[in-house]
Amino acid sequence: MKKFMPYVLCLLVALLLLGCSGKTEEPKEEPTAQAPEETVETNEAGNSHTTISVTDMSGREITLTEPVTRIVALTASDCEILYALGAGDALVGRGEYCDWPKEVTEVPSVQSGADTNIEQIIALNPQVLLMSTMAQTEEQIAALENAGIRVVVSDAQDIEGVYEAISLIGALMGRSTEAEALVSEMQSTFTEIQSASGDSKTVYFEVSPLEYGLWAAGSNTFMDEIAQMLHLTNIFADVSGWGEVSEEQVIQRAPDYIVTIAMYFGEGPTPEEEIASRSGWENIPAIQEGRILNLQNNELSRPGPRLAEGAQMLFDFVYGEDAV
Amino acid sequence: MKKRTEGFGPVEYALFTAVTLAVLLLCICVGSVMLPLKETVAVLWNALTGADNEAYALAANILLPVRLPRVLCVALVGACLSLCGAAMQGLLKNPLADGTTLGVSSGASLGAVLAIAFGFSLPGFPLGGTMVLAISFAFVSLLLILSLAYRLDSSLSTNTIILIGVIFSMFASSISSLVITFAGDKVKTITFWTMGSLQGSSYENALLLLGALTLFGGILLWHARELNAFAVGEDNARSIGVDVRRVKLTVLIAISVLIGVCVSVSGTIGFVGLVTPHMLRSITGPNHRRLLPAALFGGACFLLLSDLLARTLLGPRELPLGVITSFVGSLVFIYIFCKARTR
Repeated sequence: MKKFMPYVLCLLVALLLLGCSGKTEEPKEEPTAQAPEETVETNEAGNSHTTISVTDMSGREITLTEPVTRIVALTASDCEILYALGAGDALVGRGEYCDWPKEVTEVPSVQSGADTNIEQIIALNPQVLLMSTMAQTEEQIAALENAGIRVVVSDAQDIEGVYEAISLIGALMGRSTEAEALVSEMQSTFTEIQSASGDSKTVYFEVSPLEYGLWAAGSNTFMDEIAQMLHLTNIFADVSGWGEVSEEQVIQRAPDYIVTIAMYFGEGPTPEEEIASRSGWENIPAIQEGRILNLQNNELSRPGPRLAEGAQMLFDFVYGEDAV
Repeated sequence: MKKRTEGFGPVEYALFTAVTLAVLLLCICVGSVMLPLKETVAVLWNALTGADNEAYALAANILLPVRLPRVLCVALVGACLSLCGAAMQGLLKNPLADGTTLGVSSGASLGAVLAIAFGFSLPGFPLGGTMVLAISFAFVSLLLILSLAYRLDSSLSTNTIILIGVIFSMFASSISSLVITFAGDKVKTITFWTMGSLQGSSYENALLLLGALTLFGGILLWHARELNAFAVGEDNARSIGVDVRRVKLTVLIAISVLIGVCVSVSGTIGFVGLVTPHMLRSITGPNHRRLLPAALFGGACFLLLSDLLARTLLGPRELPLGVITSFVGSLVFIYIFCKARTR
């Protein structure tokens, strides 16, 4: 063994050196001076000289010389908005959890959150990176900006914010007309169901099933906002955001409707059956009347265009298909 | 004062049982939904005598299927974890030992995470798959740790076991993280689960815990004298005629089963096994024949009170139990430690 030690050491040192040189080379490949030059070139090549100037949702001014043709979006909702605007082709990279529509999963993933692969994003050479507030550290953002990638923040906290995000992305992609159409379509769906909604009942939004600790959506969530639109009272309006709640409280507050966003993986009881079979829940009106809705595809939990779809599904569930 | 017998006398048993029962009753009466004491008593009485609870439908629906099984499970999990911690600290002669040190907790967690990630379930039992995998992984982890330790050092010395336990624990956690990374959609459920929760406990869970505690807890209590010998030193134990390897194996197997069952019911709850034995040692002294029974009751009380805080502190919200146990536990621990030092 001892005989080999020097060789092993040499090998290790060599590997270390290789690793270091690899790291130091990378910034050289993306020289900061070259990136702006490139954009100037494309600017001259493109025939439209109208500049795009937008303010993103963290208040930063972003000016582009032409509509974006290569974009990376980290949040699932931004991917959905891009596809809804017909700009899905421009998406060259996506966050890990983007799963709608199906085509988006064919786009390379650049991970999400703290694991976001900045090197890979730079290698994909997009003009713009769409992300939510605070998704990346200042240093990472600086590295991206140095590589000539504009960072645009889209961070909807309510339905108004979703409209804003849609028009922001529409402006970036040169598809403002489509964005306006999408927003007004959503608005008209919401107005329609709001005016058709009648009596006030109570609803309970379950985010995580009992087996893993009961989590509910409280106020300041999209579910709560849509519930108010439908004249439904969220039984956990006194909880802000998503929170773990006590089973006893659900039984005491006896909701008229239960909406669960639990996923069903094809084995065992479905989420609806599982809720209906919980002991102690028998006297809850929603269980007695079998009024449990399972929304499996993040319709109501994601700030994207499908909120209108989810609201419509909830409306149909509460007031019946024929009400509108 | 009466002359102290070496073991846990009937008076002490009665005292500890009374305190535990009082805490149990308190936890049944107080909860997220405030129920009048009169109704609580009436519902419990009616349930015991088999009478109808129609007059108090809401109270009955909250108390009997939800609060009571949960409180029972909390008490049993607390008792199991604390007993395991006390036995482990004696056996390995290490004040930092508990279920997590041996790697059994991480092994059990890995089993449960795999069960959730791959949807392994037994028909008819909603939680069966998780439980079976958690227990068998706890077992397999123990086998792995012990056989590795045996290969390296056939006397199964304490240091080897702890070293391999810690390494295995890291190994198992890294695989858990890997599974969680690739689990995609299911990642949410797993994350909630790893935080540890006793919501949704059932009477079946309580029965399972009780069975495991009676059988394997009994084994641990039975070996209290041998643990005393271990606490002085392995050589000492050997020289006074303890079959060191057999006792060590028996105790370790009992601990791993208990921890496997606890993890499958409640997820990972830290700090109980580590802290409660230390707290109790300042009351009972280091003799395991007194410490182990005390740990049983003390662990139950500690976790019951922590769970009570978790359930009631923030209104309709619940706090993760592990947050409370770690927070309260470390403060109490420091207080006791400082007091013992300055005395």
